[in-house]
This record gives sequence, C-alpha cells and structure tokens, in this order.
Amino acid sequence: MKKLLQKWNARCLLCMLPSLIGTAVFFVIPYLRVLYYSLIDNQFRRNFVWFDNYAKTLTNEYFLLALRNSLLIIVICVPVLVALALVISLGLSFGIRAVRKTRFAFVLPMVIPTASAVLIWQSVFTDTSTPLPVYLLFIWKNIGICIVLLTAAFTAIDGSIFEAARLDGAGKFKLHTKITIPMVMPTIFFTVLLSIVNSFKIFKESYLFFGTNYPPDHSYTLQYYMNNNFLKLDYQSLASAAVLTSVLVFLIVMGGLAVQRRYRQ
Amino acid sequence: MKRLNAVLFTALAVIFLLPVAATVVLSFSVDGAASLQGWGDLLFDCFVFYPQFWNSVIYAAVITLVQLVVIIPCAFGFSQAKFRGKGALFVFYIILMMMPLQVTILPNYIGLRDMGLINTPFAIILPAIFSPFGVVVMNQYMKNIDSSVIEAARLETNSVVRIMLVSVVPQLRVCIFAVALFVFADCWNMLEQPMLFLKDTTLQTVPVFISNAAEYAGSVMFPAAVIFMVPVLLIYLFFSENLEKGLTFGDLS
Repeated sequence: MKKLLQKWNARCLLCMLPSLIGTAVFFVIPYLRVLYYSLIDNQFRRNFVWFDNYAKTLTNEYFLLALRNSLLIIVICVPVLVALALVISLGLSFGIRAVRKTRFAFVLPMVIPTASAVLIWQSVFTDTSTPLPVYLLFIWKNIGICIVLLTAAFTAIDGSIFEAARLDGAGKFKLHTKITIPMVMPTIFFTVLLSIVNSFKIFKESYLFFGTNYPPDHSYTLQYYMNNNFLKLDYQSLASAAVLTSVLVFLIVMGGLAVQRRYRQ
Repeated sequence: MKRLNAVLFTALAVIFLLPVAATVVLSFSVDGAASLQGWGDLLFDCFVFYPQFWNSVIYAAVITLVQLVVIIPCAFGFSQAKFRGKGALFVFYIILMMMPLQVTILPNYIGLRDMGLINTPFAIILPAIFSPFGVVVMNQYMKNIDSSVIEAARLETNSVVRIMLVSVVPQLRVCIFAVALFVFADCWNMLEQPMLFLKDTTLQTVPVFISNAAEYAGSVMFPAAVIFMVPVLLIYLFFSENLEKGLTFGDLS
C-alpha cells in the first residue's frame, strides 16, 4: 500500500513537471544570469564588483524618483480601484435589474487596444502637470477584470445565508459588510494582488500618453527607468534595478500573505 | 433610492463606455468628417494587416490552449502530491506572477536569445505558455473541488490522465473558462514582447500594427482598433454565462 501511495505521489509530481521545467527554462535560469550580470562590471571584462552596481542604483536619484512614483500608484490607485470595483460589483450582483444590465460596460475597457485608448485620452486630458490622467486610465482599464472576479465570487455565495441574516433583521448595509464582503475576502485579496501586477503594466499607457522616454517627474516610474537602461544597453544598471524590483515585489507578497494570515485568525 | 441607484450606475456605465464608443465613431471619420476612407485604407491598402491579424489569433489561441494543457495537470499534481516545500513553491509562483514585465523581460530575452528563438513565433508563445498566472488561479480553485470524487476514481483506475479527465476537469469547468478568457485577453494585448522579440513585420501582431499605424496611414488606426476589439468581446460573451455561475478562491496562504 505504501509503495502504491509513493507511486501515486510520483505520478502527481510528474504532472507538475512541464510547468516546473518551463518556469525554470524561461524564468529561473535566465533570472540567475541577470543576478550574475548585476554583480559584474560589464559584459566583456566580467570582473566581480559585487554590490557596486546596487550601490550606484540605490543612490541614483532617478531610480529613487521612479521607485517613489511606482509605489505611489500602488498605494493610491490600487485601493481606489478595488474599492470602486467592490461597490460596482455589489450593485451588479444584488442591485435592481436596470443596474445589472450595465455590467457589460465595465468589462469593455479590458479589450480596447492601448494605442487607440491613449489617443482618446490625449484629446480629453490636455493637462499633463499631474499624473491623474494615467491614474484614471489605469482604473478605467483594470476595473473590468476586478468586477468579473468579484461578481463571480458573489454568485458563488450560498443564498440561504442571506435569507437567514435577513430573518435575523440585518439591514442591507450590514448584510454586505458583515456577510458578503468577509465571505469573498480571499477573492478581494487576490484582486488586490492582481491590481498591483497590473499597476506595473500601466507603463505602456503612460509611455504612449506622454509620448517620450522622459515624462514629467511625477510620472517617471520604475518601468521608464528600466526601459531607458534597456535602450542604452546598460545591462548592469538594468540587472541591478531588476533584482531590486524583484526584492520589492517579494516583500510586498510576503507582507500581503502575512496580513491575510493575521486577518484569518 | 432604487431610481437613484439606477441613474448612478447608468451614468457610470456611460463614462466607462464613452472611449469605446468614441473608437467606433472615430473609425468612421477622417479629419472630423464622416468617411469610410479609414476602413477602405485598412482593408484594401494595408496588406500587412491580414497576416498580423492571423498572427495575433494564432499566438493567443495556441498560448491559451497549450497553457491549459500545462496548468491543469500542474494544479492537479499540486493538490494531490505530498512533498516538502510545497507551500514555498506556491509562494514562489505567486511572486513570479507579481513580477513586473520589466523584470521578467530581460531574463526572457536572454533565455530566448541563447536558444536562438528571437524573431520566431516561439519567442512569443513559449514564455507566455509558462506564465504563472494560470497556475496560481487554477491551484486556488482546485482547493474548492470535491476530493472524494478523486478518491473514488482511484479505486477504479490507475491512470492519472483518466482520473483527471473524468473527475477533475468537469469540476474545474468554470475556472478553465475564466483562465482561458484572461489568458487570451492578456496575450491579445501583448505589445512589448512582439516589439522586442520579433523583427519581421510578417510575424508581428495587431497591437504593434495599431501602435505604428501612423507609419501606414493615420486613418487606419481606429478601424484596426474596432476589429481588434471583436475577438475578445466574442469570447467574453461566449464565456460570461459560465463566469456568472460563480468563481471563488480559497486562501492564498
């Protein structure tokens, strides 16, 4: 019996192998090379300079500016996006019929191509002295996927729970804050993670909106910093910035998981 | 109250719809006047658009299908297998999913260059197949499925493939549709990868075409954008009923 179990275990592991191999070949092994690039002086001499590139990157004022702006998007836009998506999803799932029919409108921006959306944005927002247009573009574009995930989670809640709460005299507001939202907390958490991922993807839009590699200071994000180093073929700056960003992401994920663990207890 | 809600939501929906409507309207106008010239230019003068449209379709379809073939067994194995470091491996997938494109694109580029795959369709398809998003979502969903069905199936057959097809895939239906929709939409929107990994225009995709539309004729951009929106919309309409049946996630930790 034990042998069979081991065999079953082995075969289950085998099922995971394609994904593991692909991840190793296209992400992990090349990442190790990026790590190596971040520790050498240049592509040709390949002398180890250890943390010199990191020291340079961390004292580079543009890197720090970029880091600040990227974190600002996460801190400002992601909560607004998820909160708005939550309110809209509640309306779409539990509201009256006329409200439910508007669902499609929020999903549409997901599919509109970046280049043409930006062109429309440029004709509406001519003021580029604040990052607001790009923030709004981010929320407009990403709310669809949040709503799809949240409404799907609401649908999966067992309706009898609501009946019971209603019989106990819970009002509509209390119903949602005490039951609906806590029940879909894991989905909300996942939506937050996904929105952080998408906040990094807003570079495409920002780049086309400002139409330059050097946007105003308020919108210069990590992606500009890396893109410019990619164009300059400055692999060492790029590699150290990439490694530092990955450390940042690592910390965000670990922090998020810790928060979720604490919330559950 | 109810009426106020309806008005608020309609207003909000209109704001969200405006840019989409503007795209359609602008596709029928040139220099501010109503005209079919943009559509004519695109359909009869831009021969490069046709192969690029089919490239987009083929890349996105192949990536979506092959990714499902990779991640369903992976999630199944993950839920069944017992091994050390399982939790850590899952956290690793989450972290990889969270990595910004600018972090992964350099490793991707180096990997593809060393394998001689730059400027081939594989440069677009292979890394995207192993994108960690699907693995994370599928794994989460797998926690909700009824494992007693798998236990029962194991008494009948020893074939992992048959157990997966008969007792796991049907339970994963909703999740499979959701992942397929998101992955397809994500691939359909890819811009940086084709720009950096492909040189031949005959291998390029529609988003690249739209970004470079000015090189052909400015008028073709919005008609191309309208055509671009159709496939994902069709897929969304096709899958949305399934999504409405409910999709939940377990705890990530």
